[in-house]
Amino acid sequence: MTPIIAFRGVGKRFAGVTALSDVTFDLMTGECHAICGENGAGKSTLMKILSGVITKYDGEISVRGRPVAFRGTRDAEVAGIAIIHQELNLVEQLPAAANIFLGREKRTPFGLLDDAAMEREAATLLTDLECPVDPRTPAGVLRVGDQQLLEIAKALSLKSDVLIMDEPTSALTETEVARLDRVIAQLRQRGVTILYISHKMDEVFRLADRITVLRDGRYVKTVDRVATTPREITGWMVGREIANHDFHGARSRGEKVLGVRDLTLPWPEHPRGYRLKNVSLDLHAGEIVGIAGLMGAGRTELLETIFGATEPTWTGTILLDGRPVRFIHPKEACDAGIAMVTEDRKRLGLFPDLDVAANVSLCGLRAALRGGLLSRGREEALVASPIRETAVKSAGPHAAITGLSGGNQQKCIIGRWLLVKPRILLLDDPTRGIDVGAKAELYQLIDRLCREGLAVVVTSSELSELLTLADRILVLAEGRLTAEFSRAEATEQSIMEAATGGQAPR
Amino acid sequence: MNLSGTSGSGWRLPRHELALLGAIVLVFVGTGWLDTNHTYFVNWSESRDIILRNTSLLGIIALGAAVVIIAGGIDLSAGSMVAFSATTCALLLAVFSEVDDKRLVTVPPLGIAVAIGGAMLSGLLVGTLHTWLITSIRLPPFVATLATLVGLRSFARAMCLFVTKERWGSESQQINVNTPFFAWLKEHNVWISTGTFLVLAFVTWLILSRTVLGRHLYALGGNEQAARLSGIRTENVKWFAYCFGSLTAALAGIFLMADSSVAQPGNLARGYELNAIAAAVVGGCSLQGGIGTVTGTVFGALFLRLVIDAVSKLIKASADVYEGMIVGIIVALAVTLTQFGQLAKAGRTLFPGSRGLAAIPTIATFAGLLAMMGAANVEAFRGRTGLLGVVVGGGVLLLLSAIRWTEGRSVS
Repeated sequence: MTPIIAFRGVGKRFAGVTALSDVTFDLMTGECHAICGENGAGKSTLMKILSGVITKYDGEISVRGRPVAFRGTRDAEVAGIAIIHQELNLVEQLPAAANIFLGREKRTPFGLLDDAAMEREAATLLTDLECPVDPRTPAGVLRVGDQQLLEIAKALSLKSDVLIMDEPTSALTETEVARLDRVIAQLRQRGVTILYISHKMDEVFRLADRITVLRDGRYVKTVDRVATTPREITGWMVGREIANHDFHGARSRGEKVLGVRDLTLPWPEHPRGYRLKNVSLDLHAGEIVGIAGLMGAGRTELLETIFGATEPTWTGTILLDGRPVRFIHPKEACDAGIAMVTEDRKRLGLFPDLDVAANVSLCGLRAALRGGLLSRGREEALVASPIRETAVKSAGPHAAITGLSGGNQQKCIIGRWLLVKPRILLLDDPTRGIDVGAKAELYQLIDRLCREGLAVVVTSSELSELLTLADRILVLAEGRLTAEFSRAEATEQSIMEAATGGQAPR
Repeated sequence: MNLSGTSGSGWRLPRHELALLGAIVLVFVGTGWLDTNHTYFVNWSESRDIILRNTSLLGIIALGAAVVIIAGGIDLSAGSMVAFSATTCALLLAVFSEVDDKRLVTVPPLGIAVAIGGAMLSGLLVGTLHTWLITSIRLPPFVATLATLVGLRSFARAMCLFVTKERWGSESQQINVNTPFFAWLKEHNVWISTGTFLVLAFVTWLILSRTVLGRHLYALGGNEQAARLSGIRTENVKWFAYCFGSLTAALAGIFLMADSSVAQPGNLARGYELNAIAAAVVGGCSLQGGIGTVTGTVFGALFLRLVIDAVSKLIKASADVYEGMIVGIIVALAVTLTQFGQLAKAGRTLFPGSRGLAAIPTIATFAGLLAMMGAANVEAFRGRTGLLGVVVGGGVLLLLSAIRWTEGRSVS
């Protein structure tokens, strides 16, 4: 077999952060090649480079032995490379056939759209893919599984011979997964090379010929499927040096402050039907509980439900100091002493038009009033203590928040919540996109707050972080709680197995 | 550490306001000097009154528009709201007057108080309706206020027909108001509306920059999701914003009714909402929300009215024909100028590709036609307007072609 695509020293840096470095491996003609890695391992970046979304990178990519430099997705399409994104790329209002031929519409001799020809060809393509939908159906009406096949049909009509599939089963039902497996087998018979991105071990071991593991943006190794085990792969996915912070000094666990019983959050438009199912947890003052789980496992939804930030359609019980509560607005949770630092800082946390002081003071502004009006002096005095406590480095309280580093922005947001003196602090992936030094500072801050009696729930996409911080770790997989570990019991390996559903009770 | 920061109200807005102030002075001095009649010097008090009256009327509505825009919304209904409030006011006066007093000469003080209170209350009602449509039905603000833009005026007309028929037995499209109080308001309307505008501007400034509510308005407009997740009751903040927007329009309605001694819902204040939004935008409010100041909005309104006045003085044409064009050009220019830096930073050019090539003769044609029409009203160009049009159009064509040529060179 000859390599159809060769990666040689491929790397990518985003504003000083290395997302991918020195990836070298070959993709053989006609194989199904799986790429495995944790969140943030660089899988998506690599695929964006290969599909022409990212055009500036280090290293070299060759297709059929010839070096290429794609200037856009169009170039990659011409070279026969198509990608099925996790977030599908369809114009929902247009019919299925029109989506397949978008940008390459067939025309009659008079220059008008030849819908009949397009529908005919689309019908043939879709029937081949076991997708018996009317090509005139608007794409938005189709089920997710059918939409995905629509994208595959589009790739086939482009005569693509390399198909990248980015976690294709994340939104599929079991029957749809089985159908996708058959479609993949069929594609391989036609000689299509498949690059399959997933962190679900069962799929990878069912479909792939070879497996490449990425970790922290670096290439780990490529192995034949028959020569390895799921356990070995998960080991390579997480097997980094664990940063050694020592927070083992006795934290004293106090009274139970929060109890969640059988929390279920429905998700009507999704085949799974729920975002969270029967989740229970306890939280005590002076304790840090970590929530592990892959993207989409329901970590954010769990915190948002407790905080009253989701639609109040959930069932189950949330007990605050033993009393059942049901918050329908974050303000109510806030008044009850719960604070939440959101996952996506830019989208859900920062106010880019406000300065540092205004960003920090927002939740506790009433304390800055003098005679009913805001006093600049009082506001500065008010924010001085959280800014000092969280050690924000900025040019002063009236500096632009957008000029701060990610770590300092995050400290500002934590400081914002410290102003309301919460008893429960929910931290959703608090160190995402933050450099190593700032991470260590945040760990110390969280540890200190906990020692002062705060009850903390922290989620993270980095397992080492949870092992460093948490007293107990709960693992979510696809909306269900699959394991609970004490700090002593937990290892990255065991958490990863529970999170990928490998050995967890389903 | 952060002097080169990309945003932050710390320095950008004052700079924007200073530039506006400079532009205001420039237009003012330029008009006084270039105007062949020298109206600003010869007949200063009349010019002053016209500018002040028009500016405060526009400014009152613009303050409302600014608050809504800062909160991340938009209110297209202001013009219709003005008509609705004026009609409500006049109809309540009619209800409280003697039946045979169809010109509404004598209305008891209680009637006047109720009429003014009712007009303001109509603003609260409309603001509440907007908030409900936007927060509960989840209509986009554009759609919700577009509906009331169209609907309110028609509602006001129907109301006018209904009350006049019930009260006087004959339907009428308008109601005359000759109550002494409103006549007095009309007589002193320059100082009263200017005073009201300034007080309102001060109150708005106080709310926006010195209260918790004001901070929440900026937070809501800057990042609605984050505001909600920070425990801000965003729905209530929106309620304030839309009520404030409608209330300012209602206030303007009372002044406008007094000014014309008649409430005529069919045509009153048509298109005012767009001028108000334009004033806010020229004053530095970002339609993305979260950015804007009272000072900027006041300057924006003054600048718009000054330029409209200047054009009517310079080409001696009736101002309302050119008003739309002037507002359009100023808004486009003001926003272009504030985005110039980003345009350059992103490496984009003004006239890229074939689209750019097509835009050059388009702009030149418009410029030539405009020059020709404008020159028709100026004595010096009598009989040579066509020539002037060709010269200006050709000049613009050459200038823009030169810009495109240099852009092309700097890219390659």
